[in-house]
Formats: sequence, structure tokens, C-alpha cells
Amino acid sequence: MDMSDKDKFVLEKRNDNPMDYHSPNMSSDWQFSGANLANAALNLVPTGNPLGVGSSSCSSAPMVDSFNQTIWDHPTNSQSLGYCNIDAQHNASSSNALGIRKGSSASLRSCIDRPLDIGWNPASSMIKGGIFLPNAPGMFPQSLSQFPADSAFIERAARFSSFSGGNFCDMMNTFGTPEPTGLYSRGRGMMQGPQEVFAGNGLKSLSGGQSQKNEMNVAEVSKDASLSVEHGASDGSTLKNERKGESLVNSHGEAKQGVGGSGGDSDEAEFSGGGGQDEPSAVEGTGGEPSAKGLSSKKRKRNGQDIEFDQAKGGQSSGEAAKDNTENQRKGDHKPSSTGNKSAGKQGKQGSQTSDPPKEEYIHVRARRGQATNSHSLAERVRREKISERMKFLQDLVPGCSKVTGKAVMLDEIINYVQSLQRQVEFLSMKLATVNPRLDFNIEELLAKDVLQSRAGPSSTLGFSPDMPLVYPPVHQSQAGLMHGALPGMGNPSDILRRTINSQLTPMTGGFKEPSQVANVWEDELHNVVQMSYGTSAPSDSQDVNGSTPPGHMKVEL
Amino acid sequence: MRAPSSLKQEFLRKWILGLQICSSSAKSMSISERKKAIKLSADIAMASARNGRTSWSRALIASASKDDNHGKLFVQQILGSDCERLTKISTSIKRLRCKKILKKSSGTIIRRRMKRIPDKAVASSIAKQMVNKRTQILKSLVPGGVFMDEVSLIEETLDYILSLRAQIDVMRSLADATEMMMSC
Repeated sequence: MDMSDKDKFVLEKRNDNPMDYHSPNMSSDWQFSGANLANAALNLVPTGNPLGVGSSSCSSAPMVDSFNQTIWDHPTNSQSLGYCNIDAQHNASSSNALGIRKGSSASLRSCIDRPLDIGWNPASSMIKGGIFLPNAPGMFPQSLSQFPADSAFIERAARFSSFSGGNFCDMMNTFGTPEPTGLYSRGRGMMQGPQEVFAGNGLKSLSGGQSQKNEMNVAEVSKDASLSVEHGASDGSTLKNERKGESLVNSHGEAKQGVGGSGGDSDEAEFSGGGGQDEPSAVEGTGGEPSAKGLSSKKRKRNGQDIEFDQAKGGQSSGEAAKDNTENQRKGDHKPSSTGNKSAGKQGKQGSQTSDPPKEEYIHVRARRGQATNSHSLAERVRREKISERMKFLQDLVPGCSKVTGKAVMLDEIINYVQSLQRQVEFLSMKLATVNPRLDFNIEELLAKDVLQSRAGPSSTLGFSPDMPLVYPPVHQSQAGLMHGALPGMGNPSDILRRTINSQLTPMTGGFKEPSQVANVWEDELHNVVQMSYGTSAPSDSQDVNGSTPPGHMKVEL
Repeated sequence: MRAPSSLKQEFLRKWILGLQICSSSAKSMSISERKKAIKLSADIAMASARNGRTSWSRALIASASKDDNHGKLFVQQILGSDCERLTKISTSIKRLRCKKILKKSSGTIIRRRMKRIPDKAVASSIAKQMVNKRTQILKSLVPGGVFMDEVSLIEETLDYILSLRAQIDVMRSLADATEMMMSC
């Protein structure tokens, strides 16, 4: 019987006898090989099964080995763990991840006479191994399908899972589905998702209560997992057990659960462990407190609620840390990021007071915008505000800049505008040079001077040469101001007149040379205006001006 | 803001003064020469309209006074009594700032490259580089901008843009007026 075989196996394991099971050999082989089990883990030899599986598992073994080794540095029961591993492996291969975890964890738990145990850890670790090495899980089903013992194992696993009071099942279930959401929400929004998840599970675990070793282990594991930090963090935090060894294994298992969930564990662990337990909590804002609590409750058994709470908080802190870590890890180094992350997190979260200069000092500091604390940054802030103020002015001045945000683009626009203005100056000077062979503007100048002085506004609008496609709208301010200065009496009417003239002229004139009539009219206009400027200013004048315009050429459009 | 009309009028007056110098000179100039003279006189007139309050105007005057061509003449004629005072100020300030800025720019660039920048800050550093690049370009555009810091650079740019606009308006109107005069 399979069941009996299993039992036998356990006994045999204890007795350093080779396992009789072929099926578990394959899966458990690589698990055991790496583990520091005193038993004949090494005795296990893949028998007859598709060596592919074995090879795949073996290939994954090294990685898992180190992992397992660390995990099982303090196995409560190496044999049982080994057994549980086998089970876990077996189950994992036979079913999907959830099922695997379920069965494995359950089996593990049952093996280790602790309902709330670590048994989970090896299972999770194995699961991690499975997930970690995508080949393995895929391979397992093949091998395991050959073994009729699967069903028995599964049954057993199911039975074991029930021992945990459904916690694992719930845990597995919840983690199976809301993991991504919960984790990410945790990573981002700081813990609302995970809290719910955790609360729902009612898992007992130490939020921050990871032993140093656990931290180390987790750290090792977390290195490989970057994005899964958040994922793992939530997992790890939720699944932490009270026991030290358990927590060790658990954290490992949990962390590995989500790909690289260990990252989160490491974050948490390091966060809690690094720099003293109280330090991070003190430093952190909200995250700090929970972590401190979690740390204090490291080795205490708690009821589900407390653990949930701590977990949630610890999850928070770990989430934050995980977030930091994730971001940092994404950037580059894992190792320094974890430490830098902490310091950065501390710095960043410390009253959320980080400014630009201190940010640059830390290599892996996450960009946190906060109020400036030191004078250096204050001065910079003042300077920046000044610049932005002026940029606003420029925005109004330079056409087409109102929608644009951002210094670089705005500067681009300004540069283009200035260049275009300068080019216009060049062009106009060239034009003047061509018009005047001898640069003698005298006579005309005198006349033009008066004219321009008195009517520089309208002339400027009239001077709307189609030759130069002007991007910017006419400077209403200057025109209006100029008109006002030149012809005090003529306010809007002159503007309107000008505009109408302009509107009339621009479509008509491809250049100003065309219709002399228009020019004459224009000159008449100018003269009229000049006269008016010399004379008393009165609204009636504008009407006269309007009236003087030959109807054919200029219509006063009001 | 200064009254644009007064600005334009002042500019025009001074410009005409400068142009009169050109016209009074006996030699016949090519188009390009004329153009340069016109432009130069216009620029100086524009700068003088500011009466040395803005740094770009001072820089412009300073550069013009060093010019062999009509620059000095223009400056003298247009500025009149203020000529000496303004040119002195402009040149002295220019020299001091020049050295300071050269030192500054070289140091910061090197330091930045030595630092290891994390990926997270790479984006911000790239943005900063972009901004710096454009600031450099703007500095090259605005007369005397090389010697200014960012804050004052933007101020000067503002003023410079306004002056350019006024200058363009006046020049255009003059050009059109003369053109029409010529044509008819």
C-alpha cells in the first residue's frame, strides 16, 4: 500500500534506509540532495523514471540545494522534512501550484507534528523550487503520472492539509488568486490588499519575527527574485510561523512561493533585522511601528488576529521595503539595494523629508519628493521656484507654450522663438538694405518717422508681410499700447480700423508692391491719422478716418 | 513691463540716428554690408533703449563697441553721453563672468560623470541633461547669456524677446513704408 509505504519510508528515512518509493525519489531526490539531512537523502536514487525529470530536477537541484540547505539548517525533523519534501514534490508535480502547495504544505505539516508549522516551509520551498525552475514542475507530472501512488499521496496530503485547520488551504487559496492583486496593492498602495488577504486567512505568523538566519536565508533567496518581492513579501509575511525554525523554512517557502517572493521576505527580514529591530520602526512612519511590533513579537505565539494584524503591518513595512527593494532591484544590484533600500527607505520615509541633494548621495535611493529640510535643498527649492515663475512669464510671451509643461520642451519653444525673432530681424534688415541702396532714409524717414511714431501700431499690423509666415500672433499689447501712446484719443476704433485695413490688405497683397491704390489709401490713412495725432483727439476723428476711406478699398468692419 | 510704444519710439529714434551715420558715409556699400549696418544699428539702438539696465543690452553694446566696422561709431552716436559709461560696465562684467563660468562648467560636468547613477535617477538625470543642453543653446542665443545663471537668464530672455519684437515691428513698418514710398 502506498500509505504503508509512505510510513515505511518515513521510518526508513529515520533509519537511514533508502526509500522504497520510486516516485518520490525523483522529485524528492534533488530536494534531498541539497538538504543537510542526516538521513540518506543521498541514498535516494531516481529509479527508472524518466531521467528527464530527474535531470531537470537535478539541474534545479543545485539552486534548490543551497536553498534547501539554508532552509534546513535547523530542521525540526529532517527526516520528516525530507518526507514532507517528497510529498510536496510529488504533490506539486501531480497537481497545479495551488494543489501542490496545498498538499505539500499539508503533508509537511503533518509530518512535523506541528499544525501551524513550518511544514509549510519546505513545501513552499519546494514549490519555490518548482516555480523557480520552470522546467521542474512541468516535468514532474510526467514522471508522477506513472505512479499510482499519486492518488494516495494526494489523499494524504489532503488529509494533512486539514490538520492545519484549513489555514493552509485558505492560505493557499487566497494566495493562489489574490496574490497578484494583493501583492501589488501591497507593493503600491501599501497594504490594503495584503491586509485583506491576511485577514482573510487568519494566518498565524510573525510579521517581523524572522530570525536573523531567516533573514539571511531569505536574503539569499531574494537576490534572485526582483519583481516578486512584493509577491513574496506578502506571502512571507503571511506565512510566517512562530517558531524560529519554522519561520526560517516558512519564510523561505513563502518567499519562493511567488517567484522571488523571498525578496519581500528579505526586505522584511532585513528591514526588521537590519539596523536593530527598533530602528527601522522608529525611523519609518507608519511602516515603522508595525515592524517594531512585529519584531517584538518575534518569538511569541499569537492568536490569529494578532498575527494577522502584525502580518498586515509587517506586510506594510515589508511592502514598503519590498517596494523600495523592488524598485531598487529593478534598477540594478540586489545586494546593495537591500541595504541601500533600508537606508533609503528610512531616509525617505523619515517624515518623508528627502530633497534632491541627499537623494543623490544614496546610490539606490528611491526618488521621494518631499519637503526640503536642509538649507542646501531649501536654496535649491527657492531657486527652482524662481525659475518656474519666470518660465510662466515666458509661457505667456512665447506663443504656443501654454499647453507645454516641462522645462526642456518649454526651453525648446523659447529657443525656437528667439531664433525666429532673430531671423526676422535679419530678414528685415536685408529687406531694408535692398530697398535703400544708399541707406538714406532721411526724407522718407522724416515722414515715416512721424507716421511711424504716430501710427506705428497700425503700420505694424499692416506690415503683416505674407512673405514671412509668422508663427506668433501679433503683439496686441504693444500695438494697443503704441496706438494709445500715439493717438490718445483713438482707442478701439483705431484698432478696429487697423485690423480691418490689415485684414483687407493681407488677402489682397501678395506683397506690398501690388496695388498702389491700396498704398495710396494706406498713405491717406496715415496722413489722416497723423493729422489727427497732431490735432485734438476725439472719437469723431476716427469716424472721419473711417469715412475718408474709399469704400472700394476698405470697408470698416466693426 | 515698459511701455512698448515708448520703447518702439525710442528705438526708432536711435536707429535712425545710426542709419544716418551710414547714409552720411560716402562709400557705397554692398547689400550685405548695408544689411549688416542696418542690423547692427538696429541692435545697438535696441540695446541702448534699455539704458544699460539689462545685461543683454550691455553685452550687445560691449560686443559692438569692439567691432571694427561701424560698431564703435554706432555706439558713440547712438548712446551719446552714456556711451563711455555703458561700454566700461559691459566689458568689465563680461570678463569677470567669463572666467567664472568656464571654471564652473568644466567642474560640474566631470563630477557628474564620475558618480554612479542608479537607473531610477537616470531618467531625472537625462531630463536634467536635456534642460542643461537647451539652456546652453539659449545662452548662446541671448547676447551675453553665457555669463548669466539660469534665473537671470530667463529674465534676460524675457526682456530680449520683448525688445526683439519691438525691433521687428519697427523695422517692418519702416521697411514697408519705405517700400511703399519707393514703389509709388
